[in-house]
Amino acid sequence: MQPIKMLVDFVDTRLGVRDLYNKELHGYLLPRKVNAWYTLGAVLLVLFKIQIITGILLLMFYVPDSEKAFASVQAIMNDVPYGWLFRMLHAVGANVIMIALLLHMLSVLFMSSYKGRREFTWLTGFTILNLTMGLCLTGYLLPWSQLSFWATTVATDAAGAIPVIGDYLVEFLRGGATVGNQTLGRFFALHVVGMPLILLGLIGVHLFCVKRRGISAPPFGEDYKASEPLPFFEHEKHKDGIPFFPNYFVKDAAVICFFIAFMLAIIFYAPGLFFPESAFQPADPFLTPPHIKPEWYFLWAYQTLKIFPSEIIGLGVQGAFMTFLALLPFIDRSPERRPGKRPLFITCYVLTILVFVAISVWGHYS
Amino acid sequence: MPTHVSPPQRRKFLFTMLGGLGVLIGAASAWPIFRFLSPVASGSGNDQVVVPRSEVAAGKAHFFDYRGKPAVLLQPTPGNFVALSAVCTHLGCVVAWQDQAGEFLCPCHGGRFSADGQVLGGPPPKPLETLVVELDGDQLKVG
Amino acid sequence: MIRTSISLFVLMLFTLLAAPALVLAADTVCIECHGGQPGPLGEPVGQWRTSVHAENGISCHECHGGDPTDYAMAMSPDKGFIGAPEYADVPDFCGRCHVGVADAYKGGAHGQALEAGAAQCVVCHGNHAIQRANLDLINEEACSQCHSYERAALIRLSLVETDTMINTTEADLERLYRLGFAVDEMEDGLFNQRNSFHRIFHGVDVERVRAETADVQAEVGKISNQVAEIDTTIQERKLWGSAVLGLFILAGVIFLLVRKAYEEEERG
Repeated sequence: MQPIKMLVDFVDTRLGVRDLYNKELHGYLLPRKVNAWYTLGAVLLVLFKIQIITGILLLMFYVPDSEKAFASVQAIMNDVPYGWLFRMLHAVGANVIMIALLLHMLSVLFMSSYKGRREFTWLTGFTILNLTMGLCLTGYLLPWSQLSFWATTVATDAAGAIPVIGDYLVEFLRGGATVGNQTLGRFFALHVVGMPLILLGLIGVHLFCVKRRGISAPPFGEDYKASEPLPFFEHEKHKDGIPFFPNYFVKDAAVICFFIAFMLAIIFYAPGLFFPESAFQPADPFLTPPHIKPEWYFLWAYQTLKIFPSEIIGLGVQGAFMTFLALLPFIDRSPERRPGKRPLFITCYVLTILVFVAISVWGHYS
Repeated sequence: MPTHVSPPQRRKFLFTMLGGLGVLIGAASAWPIFRFLSPVASGSGNDQVVVPRSEVAAGKAHFFDYRGKPAVLLQPTPGNFVALSAVCTHLGCVVAWQDQAGEFLCPCHGGRFSADGQVLGGPPPKPLETLVVELDGDQLKVG
Repeated sequence: MIRTSISLFVLMLFTLLAAPALVLAADTVCIECHGGQPGPLGEPVGQWRTSVHAENGISCHECHGGDPTDYAMAMSPDKGFIGAPEYADVPDFCGRCHVGVADAYKGGAHGQALEAGAAQCVVCHGNHAIQRANLDLINEEACSQCHSYERAALIRLSLVETDTMINTTEADLERLYRLGFAVDEMEDGLFNQRNSFHRIFHGVDVERVRAETADVQAEVGKISNQVAEIDTTIQERKLWGSAVLGLFILAGVIFLLVRKAYEEEERG
């Protein structure tokens, strides 16, 4: 133990790590009633880290050239030792991240945790969700399969519904009249450098907001009281709370382990879950495969574009909904957070989820 | 579990187990990454490298790949063939053949080698490695 | 009013969904004219639509010749129109594409007796509604139209094993393909073996079939060995993967137990 103590002393006298630990980890108190849903943030941090590591590894063998991309992914899957593992972790990980992000957002909505002057936390979180969908979309093109090619063609084509600038916008997104090598180039750059950098920055700001404002206590139990926030900044303290580290951290760790186990279960027991047949065919710009469908988290958007008589209305509805969601903390100003006392909100919450699931299922089978 | 075990004692035991699991999980993650990054086996192994005789003109040098490393074939006098490693023994640059001088010059730090690989000047500590070469019909077999 | 707009909307949706199918159907002038005709002039179109040829995009003109883009000249002999072949010309007609099988057929008993009215391609395979061939085409009812079933039954028996082998291996390759394994080479190999296999038994000679299917079986066996190797790899991966998965679940459970110990303390 002596050498470890000496090392900690060495660092502590220079950076004051013991003080940091006492204030920010052990002394960082969480509300006593904090529940399992509060672990999703930590889970997402680990999942994003896995994406970064596997992404860097894949980058060593992937070739961003429309002539070679498909073959390079084939080589990763077949020739490079454990290439299949890192590719599957990356692809399945993206889907699991979307699941975790949605659960995170839904639990925050259910507990109205965006209330109490947490607009910045909500806005950065919502931007992270959208940016992650952007990462999914750009990453989808890289294997240059039939699925990649046509999903990207359909997705970029949707922008054409915007009046006046639509047609130019489609070409601008693609870097040419059709999806081709230029599209691959820009999607690749955005996917491996541009978006991850912005994402890291946003995650930093999001964490800063969470930490600076203080954790929002769950709105449950007898002793919970809705209170009007003060007109000046005040960190929300939880004086009789439990230490974040190690008391609550072990729960974070447990849920992280279960999420990774879930990912591994998909990889080894249902490897084809997120890979339709067209994911294994090289892209052919002259042959549209039948039944081309976006990933499950885009099905709702795909189907809304189809059910409205014109795409512009569909896009408008999607835009309006996303804007409404982004601005929710500014619209919903009541201090009441208990789900039981907010029947209208909870009804809309449940109905919206049901409508989304229904539209997605419809989109899947249409 | 007996009830008299206090939570801190229980935790100590559980953390020890977690430590063990951590080592196993760490190994299970590190091994695939190590294998993923391991260098690819350099193909041909100990095979002879075959170069057509016509590629090597008298007084000229022919550079080729010998088991993954640069090498050079010379014909100093008609019918006489020499094969050398083309990697300078100083810092690993590839030596260049000087037609007029009939010697190698390393472009990095001016090391000079004769046509049979001996050091003529400059910083190289050792001669160029000599490779076995034999003439078989109109083919040169190196190695 | 609302109901009208809904039905209008459903109609539009339907039109959008149906559009690609309409484009496909309107591809050649052959289908446009014959598709609407009654009786023997129109029937082949419907039959063809169910066929393996249609499935692979082989259309009328590819066998019957002619110009599929020109209404007026579609059936002109100048444009290479052949029409329906005579009975004895059918093997050459089909053999333009199915070269190997046609050769074997002509060398065999059926082919030798073609002028005397022996069975040719369409007698067993049918014409416009032709399906992917399988061993059920050799059956008592079909063969005994001309001769006793004995010899045919013997040939069929010696084919079953190889046929099953090729079909299982094909299904295996499809399964591995859907898991991201590179199976192109094995698929090409199997395709070649299937062709030689088909060639062999169109010569309808029991002894030759027995001798030559052995070679095919050996080659297909090599491919199915490769499949077995990949399957072993998959099993190994699953085993190790399950072990690591188990480690994570165990770690998760222990972390929860640690949390429980803290909770007891937190309660005081």
